[in-house]
Amino acid sequence: MATQIVMDHTGDRRHQFDPQNASELAEAEKRFMELTGVGFTAAARTATGETIKVASFDPTAKETVFFPRLVGG
Amino acid sequence: MGFLLRIWRGSPDPPRFRAVRQLYRIVNIINSPEARGRGLLRRWLSERQLAQFDAFNFFDVIGCQTAKRYRIYYATAANVEELDKGGHPLMRYCFVPTGNLVPGDVMLAQKIALETDELAALELANKFQPSPQRLA
Repeated sequence: MATQIVMDHTGDRRHQFDPQNASELAEAEKRFMELTGVGFTAAARTATGETIKVASFDPTAKETVFFPRLVGG
Repeated sequence: MGFLLRIWRGSPDPPRFRAVRQLYRIVNIINSPEARGRGLLRRWLSERQLAQFDAFNFFDVIGCQTAKRYRIYYATAANVEELDKGGHPLMRYCFVPTGNLVPGDVMLAQKIALETDELAALELANKFQPSPQRLA
């Protein structure tokens, strides 16, 4: 199972999906497009633990975190 | 709360009720937004950052483009400092994700931003002199 974690005021919302399941994969890709489309940043970790920004949907990513647009505080 | 009072009135065993209440309180704390944010942050920190965070409630990150060192404190605003080679604060930055996020989430977003797109994050940040209490 892979997980998409979306930060919000409750801490986060988690969406799990099976990358082998075509409909779940399509739903996850749709969620990715919707979130990044409204300004969320997507990030994942490499096998070595390095943090990377994800510009397009990666069906192999085990865990993707989304956070809202950054602004000057 | 009404549910708990009904149990209390019907309970022949107050110690058991107290244990249930304690358990209820612990579950609430574990599932609070702040605890969830903290848990997510801890999972995404490197081993070194995690040790630092557990000890001091802050951690350091290295900017991906300038290799400068930044310290991220447990807070939701004006909580990022640029450090010099001696570990002294040079500048304080405020950049946060929108949406009233909890401190752990804010810190994770700041870490990701500095480690993947440092200059873009600093460009939109408001800049301040470091706070006196952190200068020592």
